[in-house]
Amino acid sequence: MTDVAIRTEKLTRHFGNLVAVDGMDLQVTAGQFFGFLGPNGAGKSTTIKMLTGLLAPSSGRVEVLGVDFAANPVEVKRQIGVVPEGMGLFDRLTGTDYLRFVGRMYGLDRQTTERRAEELLEFMQLADRPKTMIVDYSHGMQKKLALAAAVIHGPRVLFLDEPFEGVDALAAGALKSLLGRMTERGVTIFLTSHVMEIVERLCSHVAIINKGRLVAQGSLQELRAGVPGDEGGKVTLEQIFLSIVGQHGGQRGVEPQVDELSWLT
Amino acid sequence: MADLAGPISLTDQIRLVAGLRWRMLINSLRKKNNVLDLIGMGFVALFASILVIGPSFGFYVAGYSLVSAGRLQWLAAPFWGIFIFWQIFPIFAAGFGSGFEFRTLLRFPFSPSAFYLIGLAYGLADFPALASICWLLVMSAGAATADPGVLAIMLVVITLFIVMNVTMERLIGSWLERLLARRRSREIFFGIFILSMFLLQFLGPIQRQYMRGGRSNPAGLAEIARYLAPFPPALAARTIAGTVRHDFVDVAIGLSGLTGFVMLGTALLWQRYAAQYRGEELSETAAPSPVARLKAVRGRLDVEAIASVPTPAGLLPPMISAMVQKEFSYLRRNGFAFFLLVLPPAQILLFTSQFSGRNPIFAGKGFSADFIFPAMMAYTVLVLMGPAYNAFAYEGRGIQTYFMAPVKFSDIFTGKNLVSGGMICFEVVLCGVVLAWRIGLPSISTLVATAFALIFTVTAQLPIANWVSIGFARKLEFGSMRSQRNSGVAVWVLLGAQIVMAGISSLVLFSARWTGNPWLAAEGFAFLAAAALGGYFASLHPLAELAEKKKEALIEALCR
Repeated sequence: MTDVAIRTEKLTRHFGNLVAVDGMDLQVTAGQFFGFLGPNGAGKSTTIKMLTGLLAPSSGRVEVLGVDFAANPVEVKRQIGVVPEGMGLFDRLTGTDYLRFVGRMYGLDRQTTERRAEELLEFMQLADRPKTMIVDYSHGMQKKLALAAAVIHGPRVLFLDEPFEGVDALAAGALKSLLGRMTERGVTIFLTSHVMEIVERLCSHVAIINKGRLVAQGSLQELRAGVPGDEGGKVTLEQIFLSIVGQHGGQRGVEPQVDELSWLT
Repeated sequence: MADLAGPISLTDQIRLVAGLRWRMLINSLRKKNNVLDLIGMGFVALFASILVIGPSFGFYVAGYSLVSAGRLQWLAAPFWGIFIFWQIFPIFAAGFGSGFEFRTLLRFPFSPSAFYLIGLAYGLADFPALASICWLLVMSAGAATADPGVLAIMLVVITLFIVMNVTMERLIGSWLERLLARRRSREIFFGIFILSMFLLQFLGPIQRQYMRGGRSNPAGLAEIARYLAPFPPALAARTIAGTVRHDFVDVAIGLSGLTGFVMLGTALLWQRYAAQYRGEELSETAAPSPVARLKAVRGRLDVEAIASVPTPAGLLPPMISAMVQKEFSYLRRNGFAFFLLVLPPAQILLFTSQFSGRNPIFAGKGFSADFIFPAMMAYTVLVLMGPAYNAFAYEGRGIQTYFMAPVKFSDIFTGKNLVSGGMICFEVVLCGVVLAWRIGLPSISTLVATAFALIFTVTAQLPIANWVSIGFARKLEFGSMRSQRNSGVAVWVLLGAQIVMAGISSLVLFSARWTGNPWLAAEGFAFLAAAALGGYFASLHPLAELAEKKKEALIEALCR
């Protein structure tokens, strides 16, 4: 078994003249809780879509658990779970229907699918609405169901795009603890979020993308060490982020120029 | 403190909103895929012009002839025509709207009166309003040509009539919006609406059945007119007739009646818009889940690897079986699809009542079962194949699951096509039973030929339908009437495919007739069916590859 869970080589994606992701070389070790950060429009979602087979790269290579995605997409997909940007739910199924469907699509037998669907719905506090269709779920409930669907087959690599957005604090806490236990058992988690506190608390390693290029990658300690003025590891991830993205030319520095909006202040 | 902008005039607000709608229309045409839609819109515009200009002649003639003949009370008839069109057409046309929600304007600082007037202005800018105003003006011109003295009262009456109609139309729209805000009531309403439209088709046969001779009955019409007298079209005609006859009681009744309708409509519409303005909440949101039950399940939630799970065995591979189950769940919850199941047998009932039995039109020479049986079956397939040309229409964001799951896209197609094929089989049998009851079974050779012809036409179309579904997918929503149409390409390809199938089938049938061998058609269709089945299986892999190539466009089209 390989030690590297996710590896990209010169991963590039163009949309017409726009280079959304530009020659990205990324490496995530198995069992890591990995945070993927970047400002809006930096290429995070494009990257996660390419890593999960929702978008074809213009060039470059993606390898998951040592398997080339382009050559063996079905084999890779069998090993991964995804909560995509739009959640990918079928509105007209109930939560149970959807988990049954996903479980079977991942090749689980009927009994295992039933058992896991029931457990997951209980865990996500969705079991009390067996007849409610997904279209009638709140945003947070849909997010929890998408998470349940992503883990039903016991993936070895989990890709989560803004997984806690809209999820209440109680469920979020339970989910974080579940995800933590999954990494302890060797599952790799690749997470994007705009909430720095979540990434800082959960992730052991972080990569930062800006304007399609990977501008930093490493453990939190390694990234802190690169920030001038860090005394005793007190620099927060937010400060690291602002410092790194600012150096690499966020829009006129990272912080919006508040002085220009004097008519508001 | 921040600067605050000054008030903006009502005219400027209306101008801004009109500009916004125009900009939205232009932006919607900027996408490359929408060029074909633009061509479609050109056709729609052409048909719309014909729809307006054609009846305009009729309204001119009606205005002229009724006034010159002194039959002014009968002006109620064209007024009724316009009234019904103005009130009913927007409900039909909802499917072609731009999707702009008028109430979204509420976030801007409009006064209630500005909101109300902008609402009315919106109503006047719609196609049915513009067409109706055009017809009213043309009718007035016709009446004034016959008797210039009626022009002044015609203008007064049509002004009131226009205000009344636009108010009523907005009021009905607003009530419908409230009714349709809840998903379930929306779907029920949609089903009832479609069904009632269809049931109207039975009026003709029923009328012919029970009104012997079918002659019009002037006494009956006068009786009906008496009941319709209190309504706006009749009041409009009464006002004009009263003016010409100098019967000022009629004029007063007509004008006050029309004004009363305007005031009543205005009061009700004001009430509705005021509720919207205050922030009426129409949508349904699931109540938050109780949080007390975060159980010890946490402890036993199992995250074992997939490698430990045995591969299941069954009649179908698990992926295809999951697809079939999912498709049936969707079918069960889709009122429109359910309606499609009722439609073919009901239509066969309708057609057979027209073309056979005691129908007055074809009395004594009803078509034979050998002709009508295959024709009706072909028609059934035509109706039922439509949804297959936009097979992913209702998937929405769920389409991403197909590309995330470890499944070949050919399995997705197989699952979907199995359900489509099963549904068509079921319908064909049902229709066959209805036909057998109504007109009897055809000869055995025709029956066998029809069965093979159906297998051929359905199977041969499935690869084409799958290709169109990938390349020209269009998102549809359950129970919604707004923007619910397949892509223009899908419609044209469906039509083309059906023409080609009909052409091939005609060749086979003609050969059988020409050689005098009734079994030749069955043999020909059996061969074609076998070839189509081979072609279908051969197409699955290339289509799966195509789906992979087109996945971005497909996801984008369905996840909007």
